[in-house]
Amino acid sequence: MNIYLHELRSLRKSTFLWVCALAAMSFIYFSVYPSIVADAENFKALFNAYPPSVLAMLNVTLDNLTSLLGFYTMIFTFLALFGAIQAMNLGLSILSKEVRERTADFLLVKPVSRSRIVSMKLLASVTMLLITNALFYLIVFAFAQLYKTAEYDVAVFFMINFTLLFIQLIFFALGAVISVFVPKIKNVLPISLGIVFLFFFAGAFLVEGADDPVRYLTPFEYFDVAYIVQNAAYETSYLLAGAAVVIVSITVTYLNYIRKDIYAVS
Amino acid sequence: MNVIEINDLTKTYGKARGISNVSLNIEEGEIFGFIGPNGAGKSTTLRTLLGLIYPTSGSAKIFGKSCAEYPQVRRELGYLPSEVFYYDKMRVIDLLNYSASFYKKDCTKRMRELAEIMELDLKKKIDDLSYGNKKKVGIVQGLLHEPKLILLDEPTGGLDPLMQQRFFELIGEENKKGATIFFSSHILSEVQRLCTRVGLIKEGRLIKLEKMSALQQSSYKRISIKTDALESPERLKMEGVSDFNVNGSDVNFIYKGAINDMIKRIGELNIRDLSITEPDLEEIFLHYYAKES
Repeated sequence: MNIYLHELRSLRKSTFLWVCALAAMSFIYFSVYPSIVADAENFKALFNAYPPSVLAMLNVTLDNLTSLLGFYTMIFTFLALFGAIQAMNLGLSILSKEVRERTADFLLVKPVSRSRIVSMKLLASVTMLLITNALFYLIVFAFAQLYKTAEYDVAVFFMINFTLLFIQLIFFALGAVISVFVPKIKNVLPISLGIVFLFFFAGAFLVEGADDPVRYLTPFEYFDVAYIVQNAAYETSYLLAGAAVVIVSITVTYLNYIRKDIYAVS
Repeated sequence: MNVIEINDLTKTYGKARGISNVSLNIEEGEIFGFIGPNGAGKSTTLRTLLGLIYPTSGSAKIFGKSCAEYPQVRRELGYLPSEVFYYDKMRVIDLLNYSASFYKKDCTKRMRELAEIMELDLKKKIDDLSYGNKKKVGIVQGLLHEPKLILLDEPTGGLDPLMQQRFFELIGEENKKGATIFFSSHILSEVQRLCTRVGLIKEGRLIKLEKMSALQQSSYKRISIKTDALESPERLKMEGVSDFNVNGSDVNFIYKGAINDMIKRIGELNIRDLSITEPDLEEIFLHYYAKES
């Protein structure tokens, strides 16, 4: 329990900053919504000028651009991208920071097993992701209520939002498993940005249509927001794929970390 | 009872040298000095013992159990690493409380005592401490739970002489209370004044284990003479002389034998200066035991 509390305390500040950043981004996006509604025809014309692949990447569906959910589908892509960076960052750093900050010689000689250390650290991280999501839902719901011009399906709105948590869990697990295989991560953010953008653009450029199995390669494509809006449901196979990625990554993380040699600081 | 049992321990990694076939038992109540030059394998041995790295073969156990398999045995273990780094943003007191929270007992009293002895300001942020003060944090956090086994890896670096003195007194007291001390160092004078037994490790191999008393009884002397360049100092090369060096008018060697005979022989020369000193452990080790192994 002491490790869990210690980790929560050490993650407090960064989580708060990420939530603030997400809130600020949401605010900026939502604040343009009324003008898009007011000027719907011009915006459609503007987007029509873009090639279809760009529109697909931006998740723009012209038919319902001006509905709140249609608009949210578009901006959520970027919120999810941002959330993925947060989660990847957290996953990469939570175990590796003991080596990077050279505190492994403190923590790992305490009378606790390595698996317990991993468990507590993962638990603290997931707690922070849950807090991030809870606050995020409240914030975007408040903005949606504030800026809506017509009624929208609140249940679907939350279904879209829950995918942030799924995406974050997947990227967090990937980050954790990558971190145990890299001998020493000197700087976390460039690596997490690199990996997340790689997945993001892979999804944007390689995937052709909702039936393309290439979607399995990038977690960003596991949750097709347009599909959720239309069917008020998630795609089960991709939900399972996401769960599999998380379970395999976390299992490998444990197995590797428990057997890992912790070298002296140099 | 053996507190530390290292059995045929081998650790190899990539290109860096590890250790090979190290076997070593340390009994309860001993102060054991583990000596060797940098890179000889001291830290590797220690870290395997702590469960930080895994042996390639052989075993390293404390209190009869391997730390990696039974992390709970580390409850009776205090460790002071050579380089101390702690969570920078924490205050000293918070770090020490965090450390104490791993041992299921109240360590507050001992923590205060130790902080007072080491003159450590508990309210400061770790980040703001000098290296020497961080080292003090390391000492307090390593000892606050009154461990029965204390592992020290080059512990005195960064401490001023006064604090070194206090630290050695502290270690001595812990030992009197029954703690076993395993002390790794490349500074031999430190080991000489404290330890009951020493082991020398060189290039990954334990080359000698010896009681301190046995070492001190040996009548090795280092003799340095300044003499007239005209005379032949070769006359001094009698039985018991080794490491014989002539450099201009300076003659330098180690002698083991009847000191009277040597003095007579020196008396026959026209010398300008003479000094007879105790050779340090390293000289004894390197010139006598290294050859044997």
